[in-house]
Amino acid sequence: MITRFWAETATALATLLFGLVIVYGALEFGTGWDSSGPQPGAFPFYTGALVALASLGTLVVTLAQRLRGAAIVNEIFLDRERAGRVLAFFAPLVAFVVITAFAGMYVATIAYLLYAMRFQGGYGWPVSIAGAVGAAFVFYVVFERFFQIGLLKGPIERMLGY
Amino acid sequence: MDNIASLMHGFSVVLTTHHILLMMAGVLLGILVGVLPGLGAPNGVSLMLPLTFTMDPVSAIILLTSLYWGALFGGSTTSILFNIPGEPSSVATTFDGHPMAKQGRATEALSFAFLSAGFGAMAGVILITLLSGWVANFALRFSSPEYFAVYFMTFASFIGLGGASPFKSIVAMGVGFALASIGMDSVSGNVRLTFEFDALLAGVSFLIAVIGLFGIGELLLTMEQGLKFEGVAAKVSVRDVLRTAAKLPRYWVALLRSSAIGIWMGITPGGPTAASFMSYAMAKRSSRDPAKFGKGEPEGVIAPETADHAAGSAAMLPMLALGIPGSATAAVMMGGLMIWGLNPGPMLFIERPDFVWGLIASMYLGNVVAVVVVLATVPIFASILKIPFSIVAPLIVMICFIGAYTVGSKEFDIWVALAFGLVGYVFKKLDYPIAPLVLAMVIGDKAEDAFRQSMIFSQGSLSIFWSNALVSTLMAIGLALLVLPLIGRVSLFVRGRKPVLNAL
Repeated sequence: MITRFWAETATALATLLFGLVIVYGALEFGTGWDSSGPQPGAFPFYTGALVALASLGTLVVTLAQRLRGAAIVNEIFLDRERAGRVLAFFAPLVAFVVITAFAGMYVATIAYLLYAMRFQGGYGWPVSIAGAVGAAFVFYVVFERFFQIGLLKGPIERMLGY
Repeated sequence: MDNIASLMHGFSVVLTTHHILLMMAGVLLGILVGVLPGLGAPNGVSLMLPLTFTMDPVSAIILLTSLYWGALFGGSTTSILFNIPGEPSSVATTFDGHPMAKQGRATEALSFAFLSAGFGAMAGVILITLLSGWVANFALRFSSPEYFAVYFMTFASFIGLGGASPFKSIVAMGVGFALASIGMDSVSGNVRLTFEFDALLAGVSFLIAVIGLFGIGELLLTMEQGLKFEGVAAKVSVRDVLRTAAKLPRYWVALLRSSAIGIWMGITPGGPTAASFMSYAMAKRSSRDPAKFGKGEPEGVIAPETADHAAGSAAMLPMLALGIPGSATAAVMMGGLMIWGLNPGPMLFIERPDFVWGLIASMYLGNVVAVVVVLATVPIFASILKIPFSIVAPLIVMICFIGAYTVGSKEFDIWVALAFGLVGYVFKKLDYPIAPLVLAMVIGDKAEDAFRQSMIFSQGSLSIFWSNALVSTLMAIGLALLVLPLIGRVSLFVRGRKPVLNAL
């Protein structure tokens, strides 16, 4: 179980890090003044610094609330049941993206929908296969044929000559 | 009466079969997007945008704005029938809309919602017709410092009036600006902040961010809550609609007040969500019988719906005339304008009057088309929610990822969308506002250019932002928007209370 305190703290630390990375990246291009006006790094430098400072602000506020025992920071951010539901949805998403990267979007679409319909939707194999292949076909017609936009293809499509 | 003549010219541009069909297609897609949880107006428009790259700008903007109207209507449909707001801006509609539906007055609630929404939208469009030319003319006097001051004002009002923690608003805004500066710097030609990753050379597209933050993030949240649809069936008959329409004039005070609130919140970047809550609260407070609210009071449907749509359409005014979007959806559309090679702002009125007035004329027609279409199709779209969510959600996911890929045909964008999905989920759970992030990504380059040019004018002195009456006034308003609400809020915040209004 994660309380809101830890979620707030972790997020603020992450945005703090993001701000510092931007500041660091901006230093390379100079943050001062040259003959053509402000150097290219100036604007990102200050926005990065602003993000870092505001993140510190959130950290301080969160800590102050914790020390005072305010109810809001002790709220449950995520419990086991909810985390399970999120993960059950998110893990296949990640799998979809990984498959897309290696085998293209059509293979990933069919694999993902097949899994979602068969194991999460509780449909039988015939319906799931029909649904997954049908959706991939519809995407093909709508995007490749109608809008003339190619979707990401993998080795299988290349073998078929696309 | 220049504006009226221009508007008539606009109608002549818009009134073609092709455009009317586009409007209907846009509205239908919009209702679909609005009805489905996880797909809202901002990412509906983002997903559609890559498909419009090859269209001519007038047709493209008609399609996108119609989609926007449709999404606003679709959001109210699910609020009333299912007690599930399809859009954040229709949350307030659930308070009285769903009780009405449960009492068997679903048709009445829907008709009130759509008709008052149409009224609100019309009020917003009329305002745009009357004021946009004037605002654009005024803005022609702006140069870089004034523009920077206007951008400052926009973000100051997000921080001051947004309802979220000011620190979180600043973080969201800063992250947006930082992301916008990744890639090629248009002034110096340097490639910035790519950290040696080739995939970052072209920058991070705001479209990917919107698709991830609003689409995937929203779906994760919906999944976590374990969504169940338990709806009220509705059939809409013409006679019931007319009977409700006849009752509408009785609520003229609510209609006018809500339109005014909506227009104000739309022009300032308060946005439709804040507008609908504020309008609901005002209606309840000024009612002779506040106890009826929350139990199926028609005024509780009319007030938020009118304000929601008035804000939605009024948000187009600053986008067109100043190049500053008043809502997340308007920000995406403005990004679209820039991709089509148009430069939103006062010059657009001079360079492309056919586009500007065609768009404004299409807003009149689009809203009428939207009211008719939505009334006719409510039963169809309500039945979509009977499809199990275990099928609908994966399909929405697919559409989001395909949409992300079509933006630039880059595999990397799919990973970015996934990452933004996680960020959106966490940000939403922790009440970080997302609209400022999107706005900052869209206008980041313009704001930076305005700042750098101002600095060049002044040889690096910040005093240029106080150098004449116009820019000083703008900066002063910005500072007031930033500081005044904060003073009041700090005391509340320190005591650890949650802000009342978590506007998007």
